Amino acid sequence: MEISQSLLNVENLSVNYGNFEAVKNISFSVLPGEIFGLLGPNGAGKTSTLSAIEGLVRFSSGTIIVDGYDVIKNPLHARAAMGVQLQSTTFQPELNVVQILQLFSGIYGVPLDKNGVNRILKEIQLEDAAHRRFAQLSGGQQQRLSLVISTIHHPRLVMLDEPTTGLDPQSRRQLWERIEAIRKSGHAVLLTTHSMEEAEAICDRIAIVDHGKIITIDEPQALIEKHRNDPEVIAVSRRGKITLEDVFIALTGREVRA
Amino acid sequence: MSVSIPKTNTALMALLKADFAVLRANRRSAILALLVPVVILISWKPLIPKLGGAYALSAAITFGLMAIGLMGYSITVARDRDKGIFQRLRVAPVPTWAIMVSRLAIQLFMIMLLTILIFIIDKSYDGVTLTLAGYVITFFVAFLGGAVYLSLGQLIVGLIKNPETVNATTRIVYFIFIMVGMFGELGTLGEQVKKYIHYSPYGAVKMMLATSMTPQTWSSATSVAVLISIGYVLLFAGVGIKLFKWNTK
Repeated sequence: MEISQSLLNVENLSVNYGNFEAVKNISFSVLPGEIFGLLGPNGAGKTSTLSAIEGLVRFSSGTIIVDGYDVIKNPLHARAAMGVQLQSTTFQPELNVVQILQLFSGIYGVPLDKNGVNRILKEIQLEDAAHRRFAQLSGGQQQRLSLVISTIHHPRLVMLDEPTTGLDPQSRRQLWERIEAIRKSGHAVLLTTHSMEEAEAICDRIAIVDHGKIITIDEPQALIEKHRNDPEVIAVSRRGKITLEDVFIALTGREVRA
Repeated sequence: MSVSIPKTNTALMALLKADFAVLRANRRSAILALLVPVVILISWKPLIPKLGGAYALSAAITFGLMAIGLMGYSITVARDRDKGIFQRLRVAPVPTWAIMVSRLAIQLFMIMLLTILIFIIDKSYDGVTLTLAGYVITFFVAFLGGAVYLSLGQLIVGLIKNPETVNATTRIVYFIFIMVGMFGELGTLGEQVKKYIHYSPYGAVKMMLATSMTPQTWSSATSVAVLISIGYVLLFAGVGIKLFKWNTK
């Protein structure tokens, strides 16, 4: 992987919570124009990895470079280079859509006049909900607002933690299109997901994470081809067709995680 | 590599604007926080000749400061932390101190509003007037008193994560300060308690306020109360900030 070209470079990252090792010495890079997926069962270490990159948790060892900035040495530069949508994004419940847009445009230093606000509202189809509070929006509307806020400053790296959880198929497809539009503009996307369909549909490369370690990194289709004839994969496959989910279950095990 | 960090003052202004919008949306609870000292001041009118205007005025401001610091600040901080609102702000390129400075600025605005309101009501309803120096010194001492209760609120959110428990704790502390402070100060709970009350956050703040209304009565005991108050601020805020977690997980 060309580290100098990568928008995100994670090297030998470990995250501990007390004696528990949530992330164990993982390394990966995300290139410009790439959608990179982090897949793993519950508690695998996906969100801990993202939180370390975002500066929300202290990592015990390793280095994280975002667009050339070390997240420890230059945290504000690194944060300015990334856009973040957290797993359960919420805003102050008293603020309406316009106020939320104004708050984050101010925080990210993006001048936003009334026309700018209207343009964004039109783009995310929230013109009629401009003065509604965040909690009064539907799941799809909340996700559209969250995504536009995470990209309001046109970051080179966008990080999305399970962005389509709880969305109906229409909203999910719409969100995929928005994520793909970010890629087309030459920016990179790092996302976590439980949906193998999503990973197959939009990710250029995926890393399967389990017990805090990266088991494998590859293109979704290449992973399927690589493991197509593995006995474990064939054993878990349904209806005779090998899918990414079959590969994922074969690699991470069948037991249900908390 | 051409990423520029937004100016902190731009971010701070955006945070302040949003926090004022939240205050406006929650105006009913803000009014209720201001109402308690106003009700006390009005209901104590018959007692003013006996207790003195400075006593009533300082007690009313102290109760208001408690409500603002304990309930206005700590409950909203605990709620926003629990909902992940702080985490969303922290992933932005804004220094974390700016997030809290904005929150504190709102509470300082409330303290200013409270003090002015109490001055107006006391003058128009109870007929109590202070000298210009009295008004000015009381106004600034109210901020120090407010800092004592804001730092106590910070200590509570530093020690307790659950927003419901924070809510209950602040109300209990508020109730204890009012009941024990007020009755203890009057000697109803015994001389020993009366003595300790003077050194409590309630007694120290109230003494500072009462004396600042009549600056000519400033004594060494008042200076001790100021030092004790500063000590409380440093202790509560120091421990509260050190123990504070930005999320509840």
